[in-house]
Amino acid sequence: MSELETLRRWLGDLRDTVERKAEGLSPEQLATRSVPPSDLSVLGLVRHLAQMEHYWFVLTLARAEEPQLYMPDGDWDAQFRDAVADEAVVADAFDTWRSVRARADAVMDGLDPAALEFVWDPDDRIGSVRDALIQVLYEYSRHSGHLDLLREAIDGQTGE
Amino acid sequence: MSDMWLPTAEDPRLDPVPPRGERAVVLQYLRFYRSTLELKCQGLDAEQLARRSVPPSSMSLLGLLRHLAGVEHSWNKRVLQGNMELTRLHRDHPDDRDWDFNGAIEDDEVVEQAWSSWRQEVADAEAWLEQDDFDRLVPLEGDQIEVRDIAVHLVEEYARHCGHADLLRECIDGRTGQ
Repeated sequence: MSELETLRRWLGDLRDTVERKAEGLSPEQLATRSVPPSDLSVLGLVRHLAQMEHYWFVLTLARAEEPQLYMPDGDWDAQFRDAVADEAVVADAFDTWRSVRARADAVMDGLDPAALEFVWDPDDRIGSVRDALIQVLYEYSRHSGHLDLLREAIDGQTGE
Repeated sequence: MSDMWLPTAEDPRLDPVPPRGERAVVLQYLRFYRSTLELKCQGLDAEQLARRSVPPSSMSLLGLLRHLAGVEHSWNKRVLQGNMELTRLHRDHPDDRDWDFNGAIEDDEVVEQAWSSWRQEVADAEAWLEQDDFDRLVPLEGDQIEVRDIAVHLVEEYARHCGHADLLRECIDGRTGQ
């Protein structure tokens, strides 16, 4: 497997992990801050992961001119704070996450596997395509660690 | 996780010049999460390190440290170097597969031993991955996988355990960030 295929396969596995960690929970369970004093919730993390994939793939690599998701006026905490136990908020988070993933996949389909060294240069930071892919992968990994403990505290469920 | 543990200028994990190339980038991320784990354990005594601070999980920071020493050892010496007969580190208990976590008890000697084995395994794995060929195929459970896949997996596993460490530490003394 090439470097790009390897990174994409791991990303697919991690997205599946997040799906499993959220599966079968009610809006109340999804929104509960189950490991106090942390203000993280499963729902807040799903919104954050949608925002994060959108930032790297859609805004950074594809250079779309759109506002960042779930951060009105740059309010970072809104991703987590506004993740409330409400059917519509839950449906929106999962729909948004899935549509961002489809857009991200399209961006990755268009990448040249031999050109991961390519350097993009948006205004605020510089990096390679490889850096962007790896950042996404490890954001997912670290947040999967949060989800492991949040989920276990909700209903005792553990596992990959 | 927008809070800061240390000011950015004092963050020991950041390289002044971003590395280029597959190996250099992946290994830089591996170092990044290894030092994140170290930061998350900083300044705690044996009782705090061994505390199962996010019930009902049986994890503790000390358990993670022992587990990750075993992860480094197993991937590097058993899989990459082809010595599958080696006993798994911190899991040498006849009837407890989770001995790395369950044997993480509040004891200065256990803590000292966890740190020294982790540092040793980190140094050995680092040296091996600096020179191994990422395209090389390695046998694993009847299959063949590339060294590249193991290197990417190692970072993924560290980052996930750093997620556990984030919450374990926050529940010990409220400290978050980085």
